[in-house]
Amino acid sequence: MSEIKRKYVIPGELIAQGSYGIRGNMLKIGDKIYATRIGMAEVGTDTIRLISLNGSYMPRLDDIVVGKVINFNAFGWQVDIKSWFPAFLPAANVMGRDYSSARDSLASQLTLGDQLLAAIAGYDRTRDPMLSISGPGLGKIAEGNTVKVSPSKVPRIIGKKGAMINAIESGSGCRLSIGQNGIIVMVGSAESVSKATSAINLIESEAHSPGLTQKVHDILSLGDKSE
Amino acid sequence: MTNLIDSAGLRNDGRKFNELRPIKLEVGILKNADGSAYIEMGKNKIIAAVYGPKEVHPRHLVRPDRAIVKCRYHMASFSTDTRKNPAPSRRETEISKIIRQSLEPALILEDYPRTAIHIWVEVLQSDGGSRCAGVTAASLALADAGINMRDIVASCAAGKVDGKVVLDLDNIEDMEGETDMPVALMPNIGEVTLFQMDGIVSPAEFKEAFELALSGCQDLYKLQKQALFTKYFGTDKPQVQEGE
Amino acid sequence: MVAAKRPVLESLRRDHIIELLGKGQRVDGRKLTEQRKLTIETNVIEKANGSARVSLGDTEVICGVKIELGTPFPDTPDKAILIVNAEVLPIASPQHEPGPPDEEVIELSRVVDRGIRESEMIDLSKLVIIPGQKVYAVFIDISVINLDGNLIEACSCAAVTALATAKMKSHELSSSGEFKQLEDIVPLPTNRLPVSITVAKIGESLLVDPSMDEESVMDARLTLTTDDDGNFCAGQKGEPGGFSIDEVFQVSENALASGKEVRELMKKVIEGAKEGKETN
Repeated sequence: MSEIKRKYVIPGELIAQGSYGIRGNMLKIGDKIYATRIGMAEVGTDTIRLISLNGSYMPRLDDIVVGKVINFNAFGWQVDIKSWFPAFLPAANVMGRDYSSARDSLASQLTLGDQLLAAIAGYDRTRDPMLSISGPGLGKIAEGNTVKVSPSKVPRIIGKKGAMINAIESGSGCRLSIGQNGIIVMVGSAESVSKATSAINLIESEAHSPGLTQKVHDILSLGDKSE
Repeated sequence: MTNLIDSAGLRNDGRKFNELRPIKLEVGILKNADGSAYIEMGKNKIIAAVYGPKEVHPRHLVRPDRAIVKCRYHMASFSTDTRKNPAPSRRETEISKIIRQSLEPALILEDYPRTAIHIWVEVLQSDGGSRCAGVTAASLALADAGINMRDIVASCAAGKVDGKVVLDLDNIEDMEGETDMPVALMPNIGEVTLFQMDGIVSPAEFKEAFELALSGCQDLYKLQKQALFTKYFGTDKPQVQEGE
Repeated sequence: MVAAKRPVLESLRRDHIIELLGKGQRVDGRKLTEQRKLTIETNVIEKANGSARVSLGDTEVICGVKIELGTPFPDTPDKAILIVNAEVLPIASPQHEPGPPDEEVIELSRVVDRGIRESEMIDLSKLVIIPGQKVYAVFIDISVINLDGNLIEACSCAAVTALATAKMKSHELSSSGEFKQLEDIVPLPTNRLPVSITVAKIGESLLVDPSMDEESVMDARLTLTTDDDGNFCAGQKGEPGGFSIDEVFQVSENALASGKEVRELMKKVIEGAKEGKETN
C-alpha cells in the first residue's frame, strides 16, 4: 500500500523537499523539487509524478498520431501534427521504393487537407519529425470526424488499460482512433459521433475532477461504473 | 501643482501608499491562442496571448539549442486619452524588449530547441504601469500555453509621489510624480527580471521603493495563482488531496 | 501585399460541410439563413468616446471611437473627417503576425467605412466647426481579437454600435469666431444604423454569416449593407467565384431579413446603454 499525496501545482511551486526521483515537468534545485507546469503532482514515497494539464504535443518515436497534409513537393508531404514542427512523410514511404517524381503524382495519393493516421518513424532534437504509414491501420483516413483535445489529456481518454476508451466506444457505438497528439478520429453514425464528442469534451474539461469516470458513464448512459 | 496625496495620506484615487489598484485577472480567454490571459489593473485593460512553441521564421533566426522568444507590446489606437497613431512607436519597441527579457528568465527555453515562442501583449486601454500589467498577464498566458517555466513572473511598480514612496502608480501619479520604478519578480525563486527607473530618489527611498514594489509583486502573485487555479482546478484555493 | 495564408481545412470536414449543405444543413446545426449568436457590449473602453465589443460566434472584435479636432481635407472643406481602421491583431489567430495590414484587412476597413459613410449614419456636415479650417475628426479603430469568420459583419456591427453610443464635448464659437470647447457632454449626432450582412456561396448553397471553416470552402461571398428604411447603401463581392443573377437577388433578401434582426438587437443595446446597461 503506497501512500500518494496529490497536490495541484503551477510553475514555480515547491512540490516537495528530499531525495525523490522525478520524471519531467519538474525542476530540482538542491533537494527542492519545483513544478514547471500546471498540473497534478503525485508525491509517492520515493518518486514524484507531475501530470500536466496542458501544453503542445512533443513527438516521441513510435507514437501514433493523426496529421493533416498542409503542403507537398517532389519528395513528400508536409503534415501538421499539432506539434512544434510540421512532420514529413517521405514519398517513398507511400509510393514504394521505385517512386519517381516525374512519373508519379503525389496528389493522387494524399492531397492538401487529407488526414492520416501515421507513426512517428524518426525524431530527435535536431530534426523535424519523420512519419511512416506502413503498418496495420495506418494511412489516409477515409471517413469520420475528428475532435481535438489537449495532448496531455490523451491518457485520461484512453483510461486505465483502455477502460475509458472502451466505455466511450460501447456507450456511443462509435469507433475511435486516438492520436497521441490529441486528435481523435470518430467513425460512426451522426448520433454516435455527437455522443462520443460530448464524452470526450467532458474528459477534456474535467480531467482533474475526482468523479470523472462516473460522469462519463452518465453522459453515455452506461449506468454505474463497474470498477 | 495638484496635490497627489491629501492630508490624510490618501492618494488621488483614495488608496493608501501601499495599496494596489483594483485588479481582475482571467486565464484562457481566447479560443484560438495556445495560451491567453486578461488583466485589468486600474484602468489598464490588457490581453496577452501566446502562440507556440512553433516553427521559426525567418529560418536564420533558429537557435539549435533553445527556443527564441518574440514579443510585441502594442497599444490599440483607442487605448490612450488622445488617439494613438497606429504606426509602431519607439516606446512600444522598447517596452516589447523589456517585457520579453522580463519573461525569458522564467522560461526553460532549452526544452524547446529550434522553435519560437510568440508573446503578444495588446493594450486595449492604458493607465500607468501598463508594462507591468502586461508582464503579469503574459506570464499567465505562458503558463496557460503549457510552456515549461521556472516560475511565474509578477510585476508592479513603486515610485515617489509628492515626496512619498507609493505602490502601483496610476497615470496621473506616473506623469506628475517624481519617480517611477517598475519591477518584475519571480516570487518563488526570488529573482528580479525587470527593473527600470526614472526620477531622483535617495538611497533610503531607493530601498523603500524597491521593497514596496517587491511586496506588490508578491500580492499580485497570489492573484495570479488564484486565476490559474480557477481556470484549471475549478477552485481558487490551493488544496491537497490525500489518499489512494 | 498578399493576404495572410488561410489554414488548410481538413478534407473530411470540407466534404462533411458540402454533404450537409446538399441536405440544406450546416455543420454547426444552423439553418442556412441563421446567424451565429451575436453579443454586443457597449462602453468597454472608458477612454474612448464610444466603444463596443462584439462577438459573433467565436469571432470577437473591439471597436473604439475617438473624436478629435482636425483640419478638413482640401476637397471637402465642409465635411468632417471620418476614418475607419481595422486591424487583425496577432492574438487573433496563428496565421496573423504583426505587420502592416494585408489586402484582406484593408478591404475590411473600406467595406465597413462604406457602409457607415454611404448610409449617412453620421451627417459629416454637422460636425464642421469652421469650414475649411476646423472640423471634428471621427476615428473608428477596430481590433479583431479572435478570428472565426465573417469579420465584415462583426466589425461593422461594433463600429456602428460604438458610434451610436459615442459622446463628445460640445463647443461654442464666440462672436469673434473663436473656438471654445465646453465641458458639456453631448451624444455624437447619428441618424441611421447601417447593418452589413455577408452571405457565402458554397456550390449551389447560400449561407448567411459564414464561419471560418465555411469561409475556407466558399466559392464567393457577397456583403450588402442595408439601412433602417430598408434601402441598400453599400455592397462588396469577394473571393474568386461568382454569383448568378438570381443569387444576387436572393442575397439581397437575406441582407434585408438578417439586417433587420441585427438592427433590432443593436437598438435594444443602444437604448440600454443610454440607461446605463452595457450588454444585451
